[in-house]
Amino acid sequence: MELLPFFEWLEASALGEAAKAYGGVFAVVQMFHLLALALLGGTVILGDLRLLGLVMADVPSETVIRNTQQWFNAALVLIAASGLFMSGAVAIKLYYNEMFWAKMTGLGLGIAFVYGIRRPLLLRFEHATINPWALRLLAVTSLVIWFSVAACGRWIGFS
Amino acid sequence: MQPMLNDLLLSLAHWFDAMPWSTALHESLYLYAWAESTHVLTLMVFLGMLFIIDLRMLGLIFTDVPASTVAKRLDVPMLIGFAVMFATGFILYFAIPVRTTQSLWFRIKVVLLIAAGINALLFRARMKAADGSWDRDPKPPRRLRISAGLSLALWAGVVITGRTIAYDWFDCHKQLPYFLYWAAGCVDEMARFE
Repeated sequence: MELLPFFEWLEASALGEAAKAYGGVFAVVQMFHLLALALLGGTVILGDLRLLGLVMADVPSETVIRNTQQWFNAALVLIAASGLFMSGAVAIKLYYNEMFWAKMTGLGLGIAFVYGIRRPLLLRFEHATINPWALRLLAVTSLVIWFSVAACGRWIGFS
Repeated sequence: MQPMLNDLLLSLAHWFDAMPWSTALHESLYLYAWAESTHVLTLMVFLGMLFIIDLRMLGLIFTDVPASTVAKRLDVPMLIGFAVMFATGFILYFAIPVRTTQSLWFRIKVVLLIAAGINALLFRARMKAADGSWDRDPKPPRRLRISAGLSLALWAGVVITGRTIAYDWFDCHKQLPYFLYWAAGCVDEMARFE
């Protein structure tokens, strides 16, 4: 599948024009991207550290997972929307940037992991009935995936 | 008072700038990028925990867990995150001290940081004084919700001014109105006006 035409179209679109023309707007959108990063990362880290028994040990892990999930969803929507806007300004450059593709791969993996594995498992079963090592593996995998996505995202700017 | 403070801050910046380590950091291929990445990624720990505490105080998350439990349990990870952000933030300042000292955005950021700090201290005092009467309420009292909202707004301001330090819109070498030179502490440019 040839994706370059899509990136060329995106850069030439009204979105790309707007993102390029107004540096101030770009900076504000980037602020939302960073605030969403904090919220998304915060909910992931809290859930995973709880599964590892490192924080909120006196609160049931089911409660922690249930409470953080809708804020993870909100952060994911905000981070994707602001990210799309920002990518409009540098779409063609991103197409040739390896870190961008590493990040998108990680993001796809992360979304599949959260909605396909982590949530079905943690919301459907009582955590005491799950093998503790499976829970720990789940938590570490989640931390590694989302840290990689964020780190690749930062590194787009350096590469 | 303000010119004196500007001169003082600028001489401090020049003193840092003259240190070989400052130049080495600035010119290093990776160390500066690592410090900056750590600074940004630690937002997930520091600001992430702070958001969850503030959202609890707004009655929007963990409504089935006492507010003080959320605040106390997340306090340590939040402070660890803050320590990392402060340390990496100092490294970033140390690598480019003169320009940062005369950055309008950096100055606004420091003011917002101080305001957010004062707000956090008042918040803590109010929580302690509350003796747990509303601890289990899904929605804390109004004045705590106002504090939490203010905290979110102030930290959003810290994030955006932190990001815009990288833009050169209001750097001293640009042609700017006098009040911007004044606000950014561009002492040489101000002298040229007189």
